Amino acid sequence: MWKLLADAQKIKREYLFLVLVVSLSATLIGLKKALPQIPDSNSMDLYAVMMTSDPNKPVFIQSDWTNSTRGESRGHFQGLVRSLMATNRKFVFYSVADPQAPQVARDAIRTINQERKKQGLREYKPWDDYLDLGLFPNAENSLNAFSNSIKSAWGGRRAKDSTGRERPVFDSPVLQGVTKIEDCGAYYVVSASNSIDIAIERLGTKVTMGGLVTGVMGPGMLPYYRSGQLKGLTIGLVGVYDLEYMMEHGINTADEAGNIVVKNRTKPEQVIPPVPEGTTFGQGATNNLALHIALTLMILAIALGNVGMIAKKKLEGGTK
Amino acid sequence: MQYLDSGKLGILVTLLIVAFILFNIARAKNRTDLFIRRIPGLNALDDAIGRATEMGRPVLMVPGIGGLDAVSVQAVTIFSNVARTAAQFSTPIRLCCADAAVYTVAQEVIRDVYQQEGVPERMDAQTVQFVSDRQFAFAAGVQGMILREKVAATFLLGAFYAESLIFAESANSIGAIQVAGSTQNTQTPFFIAACDYVLIGDEFYAASAYITRQPVLVGSLLGQDWGKMLIIGSIFAGMLMNSVERNQMVTMTRQESTVEVRGGQESVAEMVPYEGEPRKKNATETTIYRLFHPMYTESMYQIERQPKPEENPEPAPAEGGEVTL
Amino acid sequence: MNLLAYQPTWWTLNPQDNGRYGVLVGVFIAGMVLFFALSKVPHSARRPIVVGVTFLAGLFWVLRYLWPEPIALRENELPNGFVEKTGQWLQTSVPFVSGIAQVVTSFLLGLGMFSLLRVHFTKITRKQKDWQFSVLLLVCMALMIAVGYADWLQREFWIKEKITDDTTTWTNVNVVFNILFEGLLQNMDAAMFSIIAFYIFSAAYRAFRIRSMEATLLMSSALIVMLSLMGAVTSGWNGTIDNMTGSNPANLLNNLKLNELAGWLRNMVQVPALQALEFGVGLGTLAMALRLWLGLERGGVTE
Repeated sequence: MWKLLADAQKIKREYLFLVLVVSLSATLIGLKKALPQIPDSNSMDLYAVMMTSDPNKPVFIQSDWTNSTRGESRGHFQGLVRSLMATNRKFVFYSVADPQAPQVARDAIRTINQERKKQGLREYKPWDDYLDLGLFPNAENSLNAFSNSIKSAWGGRRAKDSTGRERPVFDSPVLQGVTKIEDCGAYYVVSASNSIDIAIERLGTKVTMGGLVTGVMGPGMLPYYRSGQLKGLTIGLVGVYDLEYMMEHGINTADEAGNIVVKNRTKPEQVIPPVPEGTTFGQGATNNLALHIALTLMILAIALGNVGMIAKKKLEGGTK
Repeated sequence: MQYLDSGKLGILVTLLIVAFILFNIARAKNRTDLFIRRIPGLNALDDAIGRATEMGRPVLMVPGIGGLDAVSVQAVTIFSNVARTAAQFSTPIRLCCADAAVYTVAQEVIRDVYQQEGVPERMDAQTVQFVSDRQFAFAAGVQGMILREKVAATFLLGAFYAESLIFAESANSIGAIQVAGSTQNTQTPFFIAACDYVLIGDEFYAASAYITRQPVLVGSLLGQDWGKMLIIGSIFAGMLMNSVERNQMVTMTRQESTVEVRGGQESVAEMVPYEGEPRKKNATETTIYRLFHPMYTESMYQIERQPKPEENPEPAPAEGGEVTL
Repeated sequence: MNLLAYQPTWWTLNPQDNGRYGVLVGVFIAGMVLFFALSKVPHSARRPIVVGVTFLAGLFWVLRYLWPEPIALRENELPNGFVEKTGQWLQTSVPFVSGIAQVVTSFLLGLGMFSLLRVHFTKITRKQKDWQFSVLLLVCMALMIAVGYADWLQREFWIKEKITDDTTTWTNVNVVFNILFEGLLQNMDAAMFSIIAFYIFSAAYRAFRIRSMEATLLMSSALIVMLSLMGAVTSGWNGTIDNMTGSNPANLLNNLKLNELAGWLRNMVQVPALQALEFGVGLGTLAMALRLWLGLERGGVTE
């Protein structure tokens, strides 16, 4: 028995990888289940900012993710954009980190627009409802320039209006009444890189900033949230599902049966409704299941490794 | 920088720390008895090179994937010391860069080291090489090198991101001895799980002082320690001040409003006597908060200035929308 | 006159002027000559040049950080007096100074490519081990550059009006570029990133062992955090505790809820430790930057 357990330590890592691949692939074929969730308080604060920012002011999204981290970041971006569209908020997006980033954001928006079309909801139109400013190379310089004056930093950018004519972006209805970075309703950074640190350093004191970051970056971002520099923060895959779960259930809001599914115990007076229309559960629900499988496997592997180690010690102790 | 953005305190503290560092550098120039605690990761550098020499395999060094900044410069400085020992033992090295500027600097530094050691012919095209400036192309390139050349030791020092574990686990799988250190705290746990020795936090910056014991570097390290003591002291002082103040009753409170000054709507703030229900101060009514959040007052917007001449037009839109110089 | 301030330049005012490419080529050649001249500087003269240039470059950013900026300066107003004028001059000069860094970096990228070509050509000509991979790399590089430039020229100059986001308007070059960039490169990037999942798995398998007190603490904390990431497990566990306490928020057992435990670990253990590390790293960076700026360090980069 001890020998069998001790041999478990010699398992080739390739076999462990195979088990991981096979179990995770199950979720790729569309296995989706809305498992129960208790959102983190930082995610709740982010959702609260999303739903309570001034609806008449545009939201600025610094979208610095690429395909590499699409597992987490696309879910964040789509959750954010779905909420903005469902609550009729105009938005501007751009990247300061990677040339690929604007394109993946465009693709994500196109998918949501197609989804809304199928659901009979209003499609969001570029120029009238949102603006795509593309890439600003060099995060440090660009964000510094935004902090100084978005009029001059964005002044050279042009976009096609509803008639197809290229015009300066400040003519767009989205940027009406906006002259400086402080005029945005909220500023979100969807990021997989240190561009969010630079955004906090350069713009943190001027705007209401929320962060949507990958799991690896989470611990590094928590100090910013704890110190109030980020008003809300959602981390990794769990954060994607947190957002979707709150988009479905709201915060401290009773459902039809009178149950409050998501309770914010630290702010019981805060009542934030679910989003009024459109999809809520998306990539987060699918990947959350994959996360459950992966973590369970990891815990099992760790347990196996430890039992094997103890068994080996027992055997060695016995032969001495 | 506008002092009103975050108060003058930040600048004062920065200047104070700068003074600490410069004072200690000046002081250390005449002293040789300054002590630095043992850092196992740095002691292991020579052992690792020795092992590579015995095995006849190369030593791999990666200064992270960041641009040319203090982090990569520090990494290259540490690598110059490693390269010196390697050159003495004729151990081949591979220094892989993900940034062209870092590559250029590293190449110059390592070439100088080989020349100083009198073995310039031992430096070839592969000694210092640029692999790619795309994160995962770089990761794939370096990983391939680790596995193909079966490197005996890896030194991963600098700004690492998601590629850290790819390098560390690949090197671990072929039994290379690994010393790693990243200024990115998010990657440190990965290094701890996969590497033999890890430099945590500012140990990375202590490395050159530890290896060379140059008085300037040791003095600067001492200055940093004074800076840490200042920070620890201010944390305690802040904690005490806040604890006392939060138990005091509020008498004055900050009132934020929007006023019209010289034809524009501006947000201003002022301290006004508090007239509501008696209560204790909240977090935004403490001295500490006011130190870090200075107030814009109405008088600031009333500074009279000359109007700009009309003939200065708005910059014309640049081709492709980028800032053109 | 503010020479460094951002202002409409000949480049921005004449985007269609073909003469600009002539100037660009001229500037490029002048840059290469300067690079060549600098590489021929005798060794003894290098240190003063490096230290001098570093000091000047650093001085700008130090002044930018320390010099006060004019308060509430409107766009249509001129700054008052020396202090305000200098503050605004520093502020408006940032794009120019940053631009210099970008130009230098672009020149250095050429050196990087030269290194890459040298390594792989050497491998191929000497038929070193796995030289075939080097051939593949060079072919891919040449193909990407050729198709990339052709795509860019078509989209920006040659048939700019005809090409839109609609894929039916694309030429063969556009399609090939899309396959290479979106189809291959992006997905290979994502594949490399996803490999990390396996490495995390095997690293965790090896690292989380009950070898010592510290390792046991590390493993227990990791287990709590991992369990708390699973919403279904957290809800189930917390539900059990609620049943035991009758949902009384004052009961001490509430502290054993998974999200409470994980939150405590994160907020009370992890965040303060990270903040302390950040202070150390910040101080180290400041000291390093100061030594480099003032040319106090000997050896390594400034030798």
